[in-house]
Amino acid sequence: MKRNAVVFVMLAVVILAMLAAGKYLDRTRSHGPIKLVGDVRNVPAPDFELPTLDGRKVKLSDFRGQAVLLNFWATWCSPCKIEMPWFVDLQKQYGKDGLVVLGVAMDDTEAAKIAEFAHEMGVNYPVLLGTDQVSDDYGDVRSLPTTFYIDRNGNIMAKAVGLLGRQEIEDDVKKVLSTTYKSYLAQPSRAAAKVRSVLPKEATQ
Amino acid sequence: MKRLLFGLIGFLLAGVALGQAPGEKLPSVIMAPVGNVELRPGGSANLELDFRIGPEFHINSNKPRADYLIPTVLKLNPPEPVTVADVKYPAGEDMTFAFSPNEKLSVYSGDFSINTVLKAPASAAAGTYPVTGELRFQACDRSACYPPRSIPVQFQVKVVKK
Repeated sequence: MKRNAVVFVMLAVVILAMLAAGKYLDRTRSHGPIKLVGDVRNVPAPDFELPTLDGRKVKLSDFRGQAVLLNFWATWCSPCKIEMPWFVDLQKQYGKDGLVVLGVAMDDTEAAKIAEFAHEMGVNYPVLLGTDQVSDDYGDVRSLPTTFYIDRNGNIMAKAVGLLGRQEIEDDVKKVLSTTYKSYLAQPSRAAAKVRSVLPKEATQ
Repeated sequence: MKRLLFGLIGFLLAGVALGQAPGEKLPSVIMAPVGNVELRPGGSANLELDFRIGPEFHINSNKPRADYLIPTVLKLNPPEPVTVADVKYPAGEDMTFAFSPNEKLSVYSGDFSINTVLKAPASAAAGTYPVTGELRFQACDRSACYPPRSIPVQFQVKVVKK
Protein backbone atom coordinates (compact mmCIF):
# COMPACT_ATOMS: atom_id res chain seq x y z
CA MET A 1 0.00 0.00 0.00
CA LYS A 2 2.87 2.36 0.97
CA ARG A 3 4.68 1.44 -2.25
CA ASN A 4 1.57 2.26 -4.29
CA ALA A 5 1.37 5.69 -2.68
CA VAL A 6 5.02 6.42 -3.55
CA VAL A 7 4.45 5.34 -7.16
CA PHE A 8 1.33 7.49 -7.37
CA VAL A 9 3.15 10.56 -6.00
CA MET A 10 6.06 10.04 -8.41
CA LEU A 11 3.64 9.71 -11.29
CA ALA A 12 1.85 12.88 -10.25
CA VAL A 13 5.18 14.74 -10.08
CA VAL A 14 6.14 13.53 -13.57
CA ILE A 15 2.77 14.60 -14.98
CA LEU A 16 2.96 18.02 -13.34
CA ALA A 17 6.50 18.48 -14.71
CA MET A 18 5.25 17.61 -18.21
CA LEU A 19 2.34 20.03 -17.86
CA ALA A 20 4.70 22.80 -16.76
CA ALA A 21 7.08 22.07 -19.64
CA GLY A 22 4.16 22.03 -22.06
CA LYS A 23 2.94 25.43 -20.87
CA TYR A 24 6.46 26.82 -21.17
CA LEU A 25 6.93 25.50 -24.71
CA ASP A 26 3.47 26.41 -25.89
CA ARG A 27 2.60 29.94 -24.95
CA THR A 28 0.50 30.45 -28.05
CA ARG A 29 -1.70 27.38 -27.83
CA SER A 30 -4.79 29.31 -26.73
CA HIS A 31 -4.59 31.59 -29.76
CA GLY A 32 -5.87 28.97 -32.20
CA PRO A 33 -4.03 27.85 -35.32
CA ILE A 34 -0.29 27.60 -35.11
CA LYS A 35 1.84 29.85 -37.23
CA LEU A 36 5.56 29.42 -37.01
CA VAL A 37 7.51 32.21 -38.58
CA GLY A 38 10.72 32.66 -36.66
CA ASP A 39 12.00 29.13 -37.04
CA VAL A 40 12.16 29.13 -40.81
CA ARG A 41 12.43 32.78 -41.83
CA ASN A 42 15.15 33.38 -44.43
CA VAL A 43 16.02 29.71 -44.63
CA PRO A 44 16.46 28.59 -48.26
CA ALA A 45 13.51 26.43 -49.25
CA PRO A 46 14.75 22.88 -49.91
CA ASP A 47 14.65 22.20 -53.61
CA PHE A 48 12.72 19.25 -54.96
CA GLU A 49 11.58 17.70 -58.18
CA LEU A 50 8.13 16.18 -58.04
CA PRO A 51 5.71 14.79 -60.62
CA THR A 52 2.54 16.67 -61.43
CA LEU A 53 -0.79 14.89 -61.69
CA ASP A 54 -0.31 14.54 -65.43
CA GLY A 55 3.16 13.08 -65.14
CA ARG A 56 5.33 16.14 -65.79
CA LYS A 57 8.20 17.01 -63.45
CA VAL A 58 8.40 20.29 -61.60
CA LYS A 59 11.40 21.62 -59.69
CA LEU A 60 10.93 24.27 -57.05
CA SER A 61 14.07 26.07 -58.19
CA ASP A 62 12.49 26.55 -61.61
CA PHE A 63 10.30 29.21 -60.00
CA ARG A 64 13.18 31.41 -58.86
CA GLY A 65 12.13 35.01 -59.43
CA GLN A 66 8.54 34.25 -58.54
CA ALA A 67 6.79 34.14 -55.18
CA VAL A 68 5.69 30.62 -54.25
CA LEU A 69 2.91 29.50 -51.96
CA LEU A 70 3.80 25.88 -51.25
CA ASN A 71 0.83 24.10 -49.73
CA PHE A 72 1.04 20.56 -48.31
CA TRP A 73 -2.43 19.02 -48.29
CA ALA A 74 -4.37 15.76 -48.66
CA THR A 75 -7.81 14.79 -49.93
CA TRP A 76 -8.78 13.48 -46.48
CA CYS A 77 -7.97 16.82 -44.86
CA SER A 78 -11.11 18.92 -44.31
CA PRO A 79 -9.33 22.17 -43.39
CA CYS A 80 -7.22 21.81 -46.56
CA LYS A 81 -10.44 21.70 -48.55
CA ILE A 82 -11.56 24.97 -46.96
CA GLU A 83 -8.35 26.71 -48.07
CA MET A 84 -8.30 25.48 -51.65
CA PRO A 85 -10.88 27.90 -53.10
CA TRP A 86 -8.90 30.73 -51.48
CA PHE A 87 -5.73 29.55 -53.20
CA VAL A 88 -7.62 29.39 -56.50
CA ASP A 89 -8.71 33.01 -56.04
CA LEU A 90 -5.24 34.13 -54.96
CA GLN A 91 -3.66 32.45 -57.98
CA LYS A 92 -6.14 34.25 -60.24
CA GLN A 93 -5.65 37.58 -58.50
CA TYR A 94 -1.88 37.58 -58.05
CA GLY A 95 -0.67 35.25 -60.80
CA LYS A 96 0.08 38.24 -63.03
CA ASP A 97 2.24 39.68 -60.22
CA GLY A 98 4.36 36.55 -60.04
CA LEU A 99 2.54 34.34 -57.54
CA VAL A 100 2.78 30.60 -58.08
CA VAL A 101 0.65 28.35 -55.91
CA LEU A 102 1.96 24.79 -55.71
CA GLY A 103 -0.08 22.09 -54.01
CA VAL A 104 1.78 19.06 -52.72
CA ALA A 105 -0.63 16.19 -52.21
CA MET A 106 0.44 13.92 -49.36
CA ASP A 107 -2.18 11.26 -50.06
CA ASP A 108 -1.22 7.63 -50.07
CA THR A 109 -3.52 6.96 -52.99
CA GLU A 110 -3.46 6.90 -56.78
CA ALA A 111 -2.97 10.10 -58.73
CA ALA A 112 -6.31 9.71 -60.53
CA LYS A 113 -8.26 10.10 -57.28
CA ILE A 114 -6.25 13.17 -56.32
CA ALA A 115 -6.81 14.60 -59.80
CA GLU A 116 -10.55 14.00 -59.54
CA PHE A 117 -10.67 15.77 -56.19
CA ALA A 118 -8.59 18.70 -57.46
CA HIS A 119 -10.84 18.98 -60.51
CA GLU A 120 -13.95 19.04 -58.31
CA MET A 121 -12.36 21.81 -56.25
CA GLY A 122 -11.64 23.83 -59.39
CA VAL A 123 -7.92 23.90 -58.70
CA ASN A 124 -6.13 26.13 -61.21
CA TYR A 125 -2.57 25.58 -59.98
CA PRO A 126 -0.15 22.64 -60.30
CA VAL A 127 -0.73 19.77 -57.90
CA LEU A 128 2.39 17.72 -57.22
CA LEU A 129 2.56 14.24 -55.79
CA GLY A 130 4.37 14.50 -52.47
CA THR A 131 6.92 12.05 -51.12
CA ASP A 132 8.25 11.22 -47.67
CA GLN A 133 11.56 12.75 -48.72
CA VAL A 134 10.00 16.13 -49.43
CA SER A 135 8.05 15.94 -46.19
CA ASP A 136 11.29 15.24 -44.31
CA ASP A 137 13.11 18.05 -46.11
CA TYR A 138 10.44 20.48 -44.97
CA GLY A 139 10.70 19.43 -41.33
CA ASP A 140 8.59 16.26 -41.30
CA VAL A 141 5.27 17.68 -42.41
CA ARG A 142 2.70 15.74 -40.40
CA SER A 143 0.04 18.35 -39.77
CA LEU A 144 -2.02 19.32 -42.80
CA PRO A 145 -2.45 21.87 -44.14
CA THR A 146 1.08 23.22 -43.82
CA THR A 147 1.97 26.13 -46.05
CA PHE A 148 5.32 27.72 -46.80
CA TYR A 149 5.60 31.20 -48.28
CA ILE A 150 8.73 31.36 -50.40
CA ASP A 151 10.09 34.66 -51.67
CA ARG A 152 11.39 35.40 -55.15
CA ASN A 153 14.91 34.38 -54.10
CA GLY A 154 13.86 30.95 -52.90
CA ASN A 155 13.91 31.74 -49.19
CA ILE A 156 11.11 30.81 -46.80
CA MET A 157 9.47 33.93 -45.40
CA ALA A 158 6.76 32.24 -43.36
CA LYS A 159 5.33 28.88 -42.42
CA ALA A 160 1.72 28.27 -41.38
CA VAL A 161 0.58 25.05 -39.76
CA GLY A 162 -3.15 24.45 -39.73
CA LEU A 163 -6.04 26.39 -41.13
CA LEU A 164 -5.69 30.15 -40.99
CA GLY A 165 -8.06 32.86 -42.15
CA ARG A 166 -8.06 33.96 -45.76
CA GLN A 167 -6.87 37.43 -44.86
CA GLU A 168 -3.81 36.07 -43.03
CA ILE A 169 -2.96 33.94 -46.06
CA GLU A 170 -3.35 36.91 -48.39
CA ASP A 171 -1.16 39.05 -46.12
CA ASP A 172 1.63 36.48 -46.38
CA VAL A 173 1.16 36.28 -50.15
CA LYS A 174 1.59 40.05 -50.38
CA LYS A 175 4.75 39.83 -48.29
CA VAL A 176 6.41 37.30 -50.58
CA LEU A 177 5.28 39.19 -53.66
CA SER A 178 6.87 42.38 -52.32
CA THR A 179 10.34 40.84 -52.35
CA THR A 180 12.84 41.70 -55.05
CA TYR A 181 14.56 39.09 -57.11
CA LYS A 182 18.28 39.48 -56.54
CA SER A 183 20.01 37.77 -59.36
CA TYR A 184 22.54 38.52 -62.03
CA LEU A 185 19.83 37.29 -64.35
CA ALA A 186 17.53 40.23 -64.88
CA GLN A 187 15.10 38.18 -66.93
CA PRO A 188 13.39 35.00 -65.78
CA SER A 189 15.37 31.94 -66.77
CA ARG A 190 14.54 29.64 -69.65
CA ALA A 191 13.62 27.06 -67.04
CA ALA A 192 11.11 29.47 -65.52
CA ALA A 193 9.57 30.02 -68.91
CA LYS A 194 9.31 26.27 -69.29
CA VAL A 195 7.62 26.06 -65.90
CA ARG A 196 5.11 28.73 -66.82
CA SER A 197 4.00 26.41 -69.58
CA VAL A 198 3.01 23.92 -66.87
CA LEU A 199 0.70 26.44 -65.25
CA PRO A 200 -2.84 26.67 -66.58
CA LYS A 201 -3.34 29.84 -68.62
CA GLU A 202 -5.90 31.35 -66.27
CA ALA A 203 -3.45 31.01 -63.37
CA THR A 204 -1.03 33.53 -64.85
CA GLN A 205 -3.52 36.01 -66.25
CA MET B 1 -9.81 -1.14 -12.08
CA LYS B 2 -10.12 -1.14 -15.91
CA ARG B 3 -11.61 2.36 -15.86
CA LEU B 4 -8.95 3.57 -13.41
CA LEU B 5 -6.14 2.28 -15.63
CA PHE B 6 -7.83 3.76 -18.71
CA GLY B 7 -8.16 7.10 -16.94
CA LEU B 8 -4.56 7.08 -15.73
CA ILE B 9 -3.20 6.33 -19.21
CA GLY B 10 -5.46 9.00 -20.66
CA PHE B 11 -4.27 11.53 -18.10
CA LEU B 12 -0.67 10.65 -18.88
CA LEU B 13 -1.31 11.10 -22.63
CA ALA B 14 -2.92 14.48 -21.93
CA GLY B 15 0.23 15.53 -20.10
CA VAL B 16 2.40 14.37 -22.99
CA ALA B 17 0.18 16.23 -25.48
CA LEU B 18 0.41 19.44 -23.47
CA GLY B 19 4.16 19.03 -23.28
CA GLN B 20 4.56 18.96 -27.05
CA ALA B 21 5.55 22.11 -28.85
CA PRO B 22 3.15 23.69 -31.34
CA GLY B 23 2.95 21.76 -34.59
CA GLU B 24 4.54 18.73 -32.99
CA LYS B 25 1.55 17.39 -31.13
CA LEU B 26 0.31 14.07 -32.37
CA PRO B 27 -3.11 12.54 -32.05
CA SER B 28 -3.50 9.58 -29.77
CA VAL B 29 -6.19 6.95 -29.51
CA ILE B 30 -5.96 4.26 -26.86
CA MET B 31 -8.05 1.22 -26.16
CA ALA B 32 -9.13 0.24 -22.65
CA PRO B 33 -7.97 -3.17 -21.52
CA VAL B 34 -10.53 -5.88 -22.27
CA GLY B 35 -11.61 -8.13 -19.41
CA ASN B 36 -12.52 -11.77 -19.65
CA VAL B 37 -14.66 -12.67 -22.63
CA GLU B 38 -16.38 -15.99 -22.23
CA LEU B 39 -18.28 -17.87 -24.88
CA ARG B 40 -20.19 -21.11 -24.64
CA PRO B 41 -20.15 -23.45 -27.66
CA GLY B 42 -23.16 -22.52 -29.78
CA GLY B 43 -23.53 -19.22 -27.99
CA SER B 44 -22.67 -15.57 -28.47
CA ALA B 45 -21.29 -12.76 -26.33
CA ASN B 46 -21.53 -9.00 -26.57
CA LEU B 47 -18.22 -7.22 -26.19
CA GLU B 48 -17.88 -3.48 -25.85
CA LEU B 49 -14.50 -2.10 -26.90
CA ASP B 50 -13.78 1.25 -25.29
CA PHE B 51 -11.52 3.85 -26.86
CA ARG B 52 -10.27 7.24 -25.74
CA ILE B 53 -9.15 9.99 -28.10
CA GLY B 54 -6.51 12.39 -26.85
CA PRO B 55 -7.63 15.87 -25.78
CA GLU B 56 -8.09 18.45 -28.56
CA PHE B 57 -8.45 15.78 -31.24
CA HIS B 58 -11.35 14.14 -33.03
CA ILE B 59 -11.54 11.31 -35.53
CA ASN B 60 -14.04 10.71 -38.33
CA SER B 61 -16.96 8.53 -37.33
CA ASN B 62 -17.62 5.25 -39.14
CA LYS B 63 -19.93 7.19 -41.44
CA PRO B 64 -18.27 10.47 -42.33
CA ARG B 65 -20.35 12.82 -44.44
CA ALA B 66 -18.08 12.91 -47.47
CA ASP B 67 -16.52 10.22 -49.64
CA TYR B 68 -13.08 11.77 -49.41
CA LEU B 69 -12.94 11.39 -45.61
CA ILE B 70 -11.46 8.28 -44.04
CA PRO B 71 -13.91 6.45 -41.76
CA THR B 72 -13.01 4.86 -38.45
CA VAL B 73 -13.04 1.11 -39.00
CA LEU B 74 -12.51 -1.79 -36.61
CA LYS B 75 -11.11 -4.95 -38.14
CA LEU B 76 -11.02 -8.10 -36.06
CA ASN B 77 -9.32 -11.35 -37.02
CA PRO B 78 -10.62 -14.03 -34.68
CA PRO B 79 -9.09 -17.50 -34.93
CA GLU B 80 -11.38 -20.40 -35.70
CA PRO B 81 -13.84 -21.34 -34.29
CA VAL B 82 -14.59 -17.83 -32.98
CA THR B 83 -16.39 -15.49 -35.39
CA VAL B 84 -17.46 -11.87 -35.33
CA ALA B 85 -21.21 -11.76 -35.94
CA ASP B 86 -21.69 -8.01 -35.71
CA VAL B 87 -19.87 -4.71 -35.21
CA LYS B 88 -21.91 -1.68 -34.21
CA TYR B 89 -20.35 1.77 -34.32
CA PRO B 90 -21.71 4.71 -32.36
CA ALA B 91 -23.26 7.61 -34.26
CA GLY B 92 -20.90 10.50 -34.79
CA GLU B 93 -21.37 13.94 -33.34
CA ASP B 94 -21.64 16.98 -35.60
CA MET B 95 -18.68 19.29 -35.80
CA THR B 96 -17.70 22.24 -37.98
CA PHE B 97 -14.37 23.88 -38.65
CA ALA B 98 -13.84 27.57 -38.19
CA PHE B 99 -14.16 29.44 -41.52
CA SER B 100 -16.60 26.82 -42.81
CA PRO B 101 -19.57 26.72 -40.43
CA ASN B 102 -21.92 25.26 -43.01
CA GLU B 103 -19.92 22.11 -43.65
CA LYS B 104 -20.73 19.60 -40.95
CA LEU B 105 -18.48 16.67 -40.13
CA SER B 106 -19.44 13.49 -38.28
CA VAL B 107 -16.79 12.73 -35.69
CA TYR B 108 -15.92 10.96 -32.47
CA SER B 109 -14.13 12.77 -29.68
CA GLY B 110 -13.31 11.93 -26.07
CA ASP B 111 -14.48 8.40 -25.24
CA PHE B 112 -16.40 6.16 -27.57
CA SER B 113 -17.30 2.47 -27.68
CA ILE B 114 -17.73 -0.04 -30.46
CA ASN B 115 -20.05 -2.96 -29.74
CA THR B 116 -19.24 -6.32 -31.16
CA VAL B 117 -20.96 -9.70 -31.06
CA LEU B 118 -18.75 -12.78 -30.96
CA LYS B 119 -19.94 -16.28 -31.66
CA ALA B 120 -18.70 -19.83 -31.32
CA PRO B 121 -20.29 -22.85 -33.04
CA ALA B 122 -21.67 -25.74 -31.02
CA SER B 123 -18.70 -27.81 -32.10
CA ALA B 124 -16.17 -25.32 -30.69
CA ALA B 125 -13.56 -26.89 -28.47
CA ALA B 126 -12.97 -25.37 -25.07
CA GLY B 127 -9.90 -23.18 -24.89
CA THR B 128 -8.51 -19.68 -25.04
CA TYR B 129 -8.46 -17.96 -28.42
CA PRO B 130 -6.48 -14.76 -28.98
CA VAL B 131 -8.27 -12.21 -31.17
CA THR B 132 -6.19 -9.61 -32.94
CA GLY B 133 -7.18 -6.70 -35.10
CA GLU B 134 -6.82 -3.00 -35.56
CA LEU B 135 -8.70 0.26 -35.32
CA ARG B 136 -7.98 2.49 -38.30
CA PHE B 137 -8.74 6.16 -37.96
CA GLN B 138 -7.79 9.58 -39.21
CA ALA B 139 -7.55 12.36 -36.67
CA CYS B 140 -7.77 16.14 -36.79
CA ASP B 141 -7.77 18.95 -34.30
CA ARG B 142 -9.52 22.31 -34.66
CA SER B 143 -7.23 23.49 -37.45
CA ALA B 144 -5.17 20.62 -38.86
CA CYS B 145 -5.41 16.96 -39.80
CA TYR B 146 -2.97 14.09 -39.40
CA PRO B 147 -2.25 11.07 -41.59
CA PRO B 148 -4.43 8.00 -41.10
CA ARG B 149 -3.07 5.41 -38.75
CA SER B 150 -4.02 2.21 -36.94
CA ILE B 151 -3.70 0.97 -33.41
CA PRO B 152 -3.63 -2.72 -32.52
CA VAL B 153 -6.63 -4.36 -30.89
CA GLN B 154 -6.03 -7.49 -28.86
CA PHE B 155 -8.05 -9.56 -26.46
CA GLN B 156 -8.70 -13.16 -25.56
CA VAL B 157 -11.87 -15.16 -25.86
CA LYS B 158 -12.38 -18.16 -23.63
CA VAL B 159 -14.67 -20.88 -24.91
CA VAL B 160 -15.99 -22.74 -21.92
CA LYS B 161 -18.04 -25.94 -21.75
CA LYS B 162 -21.66 -25.69 -20.62
